[in-house]
Amino acid sequence: MSASMSGNTASSSSSKKSLKAFSDDIWKNKTAKINAELFTLTYGSIVSQLCTDYERDFAKVNKQLYSMGYNIGVRLIEDFLARTALPRCDSLAKTSEVISKCAFKIFLNVTPQIGNWSSNKDSFSIFLDENPLSEFVELPMDAARELWYSNILCGVLKGALEMVQMDCDVYFASDVLKGDQTTELRVKLNKILKDEIPAGED
Amino acid sequence: MALYSFWIFDRHCNCIFDREWTLKTNPSSGTTNSKLNEDTAKLLYGMVFSLRSISQKLGSKGSFNEIRTIATGKYRAHILCTASGLWFILLSDLGQEDLSQVLRYLYSEIYVKTVVYNWLSPVDFADSPNERRGQGFRKIRNRQFLLAVEKFLGPMVN
Repeated sequence: MSASMSGNTASSSSSKKSLKAFSDDIWKNKTAKINAELFTLTYGSIVSQLCTDYERDFAKVNKQLYSMGYNIGVRLIEDFLARTALPRCDSLAKTSEVISKCAFKIFLNVTPQIGNWSSNKDSFSIFLDENPLSEFVELPMDAARELWYSNILCGVLKGALEMVQMDCDVYFASDVLKGDQTTELRVKLNKILKDEIPAGED
Repeated sequence: MALYSFWIFDRHCNCIFDREWTLKTNPSSGTTNSKLNEDTAKLLYGMVFSLRSISQKLGSKGSFNEIRTIATGKYRAHILCTASGLWFILLSDLGQEDLSQVLRYLYSEIYVKTVVYNWLSPVDFADSPNERRGQGFRKIRNRQFLLAVEKFLGPMVN
């Protein structure tokens, strides 16, 4: 499928089926696959090393994971856009759909549910029924209170959304690792950033 | 087929890469990241910026309308604008109808692989707030990137 064609498919007014088929195609045909366990274990070793380095100060570990994620996100967005050729989203609803059906599918091969919209439609939740990052993980007692094991995801989303001019707060609201019913990632849009214009033009 | 020049602008309105070929017969002629092209870059940016706002205003509301080419009496500019605010611009002779595939390749196979995947290279070329809004001066200098651009675009120069 040519890039310009795929661009059209994706932008043809967000029919759910087409975005899904579009993402499935990219996942199947344009994405190199790696062993999921290797990925899970690599992430596990990063988290455990951070816990050691910060002497089990989990607030600091959360923060560090978040900032690592941010740095990944600002680069990953270019990879994502290069693969999908998607234009900017015109609404947060569209953004949420692209995140769940397209981004999570391409990078992690999961399609989380979107829900829990706030009444003014400026925040939503991503429900991760499957989380490849925490596949084999059980949190020890001391970590269960404070550590957000997959906090890197928040940073990635924050960084990536910022690069498409959406200033968002992203945080975990609950995690099955902590004994909650669901793993819920909350995304709250603060504002749409303005595109810059050259100095002296305003 | 003839290519005249290739430009990349970032979301801070800065020109982060320029390549101009001067001799059709020699793909290694011309300048790369030249100071002399600063003003041309600003004018080119302004032209695309204005036409881009017009094209978006004229498009029906809600749908996306990104500018692709601009033709004048002498040359054609081919433009790829990404959602992250990067602009890839190729200037060619009028014979070239559509170089969008070439621009896509430059973005996804060259820029992404040699700049974005290269963790020691910045992805944001404005280091401080006063290098934003078109006042930056940093350029892409990754060797891999420069080589890949020459190798890919060189054969299309004449």
